[in-house]
Amino acid sequence: MSRIGVFVCWCGENIARTVDVDQVAEACGEMPGVRCAQNYKYMCADPGQAMIREKIASERLDAVVVASCSPHMHLKTFRRAAAAAGLNPYRLEMANIREQCSWVHHDKDRATEKAIGIVRTAVAKVRYNHALSPIRVPMTRRAMVIGGGVAGIQAALDIADAGYEVVLVEREPSIGGKMAGLSETFPTLDCSQCILTPRMVEAGQHPRIKLYTYSELESVSGFVGNFEATIRKKTRYVDMAKCTGCGECQKICPLKRNPSEFDFGMGMRPAIFMPFPQAVPARPVIDKKVCAKIVRNGCGLCEKKCAPGAINFKDQDELATERVGAIVVATGYKLYSIGREQPSAKTTGYGEYGYGKYKDVIDSLQFERLISASGPTNGELKRPSDGKIPQSVVFIACVGSRDNAKGLPYCSKICCMYTAKHTMLYKHKVHSGEAHVFYMDIRAGGKGYDEFVRRAIEKDGAKYYRGRVSKITEENGKLIVRGADTLAGVPVTVETDLVVLASAMRPADGVERLAQKLNIGCDEFGFLMESHPKLRPVETNTAGVYVCGACQAPKDIPESVAQASAAASKVMISFSASELTREPEIARIDEQTCAACFACERTCPYHAIERVELRARNGDLIKRAARVNQGLCMGCGTCVSVCPSKSADSEGFTEEEVYAMVEALA
Amino acid sequence: MSGSNGFEPKIVAFVCNWCTYLGADLAGTSRLEYPPNVRILRLPCTGRIDTNLVVKAVEGGADAVLVSGCHPGDCHYNAGNYHARRRWMLFRELLDVLGFDMRRIHFTWISAAEGRKFQHVISEITEQTRALGPWRAYEAKAEIDHRGGLVGQAVSPATGRAGPAPALQAPAPLAEQELRDLARRLLGAGDVKVVIGYGAAGPVFVTKAADVERLVWNEGCQANLTTYLKRKEVRALGKPAVVVKGCDERSLVVLEKESQIRREDVRVIGMACDGMGQEKCAACDTHEPRFADERVGKAGGQGGKPAARYAAVEAILAKTPEERLAFWSAEFDRCLKCYACRQVCPMCYCERCIADKNRPQAIDTSPHRKGNFAWHIARAMHLAGRCVGCDECTRACPAGIDLRLLNLTLARAAETQFGYRAGMDPAAEPPIGAYSLQDKEEFIR
Repeated sequence: MSRIGVFVCWCGENIARTVDVDQVAEACGEMPGVRCAQNYKYMCADPGQAMIREKIASERLDAVVVASCSPHMHLKTFRRAAAAAGLNPYRLEMANIREQCSWVHHDKDRATEKAIGIVRTAVAKVRYNHALSPIRVPMTRRAMVIGGGVAGIQAALDIADAGYEVVLVEREPSIGGKMAGLSETFPTLDCSQCILTPRMVEAGQHPRIKLYTYSELESVSGFVGNFEATIRKKTRYVDMAKCTGCGECQKICPLKRNPSEFDFGMGMRPAIFMPFPQAVPARPVIDKKVCAKIVRNGCGLCEKKCAPGAINFKDQDELATERVGAIVVATGYKLYSIGREQPSAKTTGYGEYGYGKYKDVIDSLQFERLISASGPTNGELKRPSDGKIPQSVVFIACVGSRDNAKGLPYCSKICCMYTAKHTMLYKHKVHSGEAHVFYMDIRAGGKGYDEFVRRAIEKDGAKYYRGRVSKITEENGKLIVRGADTLAGVPVTVETDLVVLASAMRPADGVERLAQKLNIGCDEFGFLMESHPKLRPVETNTAGVYVCGACQAPKDIPESVAQASAAASKVMISFSASELTREPEIARIDEQTCAACFACERTCPYHAIERVELRARNGDLIKRAARVNQGLCMGCGTCVSVCPSKSADSEGFTEEEVYAMVEALA
Repeated sequence: MSGSNGFEPKIVAFVCNWCTYLGADLAGTSRLEYPPNVRILRLPCTGRIDTNLVVKAVEGGADAVLVSGCHPGDCHYNAGNYHARRRWMLFRELLDVLGFDMRRIHFTWISAAEGRKFQHVISEITEQTRALGPWRAYEAKAEIDHRGGLVGQAVSPATGRAGPAPALQAPAPLAEQELRDLARRLLGAGDVKVVIGYGAAGPVFVTKAADVERLVWNEGCQANLTTYLKRKEVRALGKPAVVVKGCDERSLVVLEKESQIRREDVRVIGMACDGMGQEKCAACDTHEPRFADERVGKAGGQGGKPAARYAAVEAILAKTPEERLAFWSAEFDRCLKCYACRQVCPMCYCERCIADKNRPQAIDTSPHRKGNFAWHIARAMHLAGRCVGCDECTRACPAGIDLRLLNLTLARAAETQFGYRAGMDPAAEPPIGAYSLQDKEEFIR
């Protein structure tokens, strides 16, 4: 027989005004298994908690029901009190007679009757409550960061600086990401490379950061605290250890006219190349699609020229495995490919802008390279078609963004700011030039942002037209931009030398496949899903996997960095103990009765069901069964509903407990 | 209930911990008054709310039941509510066919911010239920029925006639010889250790090539022999070959999907079949086996009328709910709880059936009406999206309960709602255990 103590709270007048607490306590005293029932003015206050502790000891209670407010309010409080008195905290239940009784009824008799009913179900349940202990999962205090842009670098450095090892995986030959290619950054116009490259070097040389560049995540197994990542190191054909980064190979390579990925096709690179001079690691790779030695076993000049003998044409992909406890995803963005990519079959893209058809219609990242001091033109603004300095540039905002018909419905957030920046940088280089901007709205929320846009308009004289561009044509080496100024109510035609399209931000290629590997979610546009938009912005729904930067949503550099540090701090919190403590109210499966139909496996939102084989001592297979991975299960109990034999059960809401509650209603 | 002379309904609300429970809390903190007739039971997620619990609440005298959770997309556990929604889609159809009063079973999505919606929902349900009066789900007057005990003679509500009638096409005698030759060859070569086939009086388990004459193929070969694959004593004989018709073969697809058999461990002998004179044969569209390793005979091509597949369900739905409940009360009143339906079902392979579990006692074991309803509802739900329609349960039932109609109800629901027929397409995803964002939820407010 149970020895249950029931403690009925008055909550001052809050409960006692509408519920006859004496009558409730009296009725509870007669319920089966109840040893004592008392009421008190404020159960949550110190004297109330002391009463519970005292009764647990004096009456040797083995379960407690506190009839008071919502368990969301004080369950933890009372469970702590019970634990302090030596009772397993999970042997305490609450009966919600305030939010769901006294506050919503005024007929005292009926409210009292209902309160007794509520306590009866709690008493019925608590008899079956299991004594549980927190689940401890070993924690590998080592993190993996996927993506070596500014967000990934920041997260990696923060975690490494805190004293933990970090594996930083980047699929390009160098870390640095999109930011490494930017010219200057808003709203301060400081040079992007000046602020980023020291961080890149720091990450490259950090004793606790292990870099995997030109590498991709192949697969991940395990769960929070215990991930095992397989990383594919793509064939580089250059021995990283032997290479000194002298650059002789790049000079001698005869195949120099390959569009540079780093310059978004605005410049050329050899077949063996470092993406940019400040690359980290400062080691080249060979483009196997164009290298003459690889394609047709010719050339081989670099191999002959390389003094340390670092060129290795026999190189192959390698797989490395890394054990980590947490994963930060910072895979960033790409630009919506105008005219060539349609987000859905219904949309048509922006063929009328002539991107890809007219050489002087470029996107914003290409423009960044054209005006970057380290860009293909060494900072001199020359237009792609004929190398002339454009005397007029038209910037078009919202190309793809906020356009349900042709592109994507969301705002890419950074385009208003960088377009203002572009007009400034242009005007600073070409003083006599004209900068025209077609925009939908100016969204410049941020520290110093609106002032920055005002400066572009008022000080640097950029001409802003609120309206869309309908068509771009080319005539006699000039681009004719036809649009509208909806504020003035007139059509506008601008004859210009260069057009820059602020195309929408999209998640980087392959992010959906990555999300599948990590079992995290994507929204309909492919941006990775945070666990809660307000309160868990860097967590995902898979424990131990975090997101930061533009892979989660369009955002600028300060926000990406802030989010990266937030993700890093979450990782560090999880690393603060050698074991991870998890709530024990999760599912378990009785392997003896499990029929191994694995309905639970298909249903589990967390992929927390594993298949196990139960074997006899001599190794013979006795049976197969499903097992809950305690590191992954979140305790939703969906498996219990689909389990035909009810071999699955959820602690905290076991079948016995729940049926006891239902039966107590009768 | 005190405080009122009239009838005060009892409303049981199963709610998820994260949305509706907090919505109810918000109603409290906002002091939004509603009738005290509701008892709220907190579970972690709507995904955890099993249909058996609803049945138990009705057994316990609930006058209305509410199940409520997070709006789609808001589930604390990502997808628990989607799984629940799917289950309720099927469950509702079953309850409807059983004649349960659907005006008393409610589903809502109430978020943590919707205290006011909680108040309205509870007030409305209470008012509505008060007007309906007490729910006497188990007090229907059973149709007088003295037909019990006729094996395989269930009355079709569609036709009102007892027993099957379709004209029988006599199976080709050549096929029988072909089958025996094949079995002799398989056993002789040692490819298989036992051939599970039809004998003159029930199944035979032929282990020696010399015994193949025991195998028969005639109009009595109605049983679905795949059910024997799960038996320990059969497994002990070694690798089996099993004789199946095109319809029985479907259970192998399901069993493989559920990891109960490995296809390479079973040699499948598929018999072309023109029908065995059973009710199901009238709508058969699997005369030829499709996945069998060995094939015997050729079907005459007497295609059934798939359109008529669910005619029996539609016929009973044409009756009023009261008539349906009376019909099923009569049917289930004959149930002896012998569990022959379970034993014969190829899909019932649990080592410990929920009906045999007594902690907790989800299903009452004694053969009274409540326990019988609970058992047949649980059985039907367990077969939702799994039953291949072999009708063995109906054939085995010594009380002649029309179990086929229950299975058909859920098969019809799975096909109409999810385009799924169990065991037809090995690549198709079963409806339970999966979900779609497009699942219909017009029944959820």
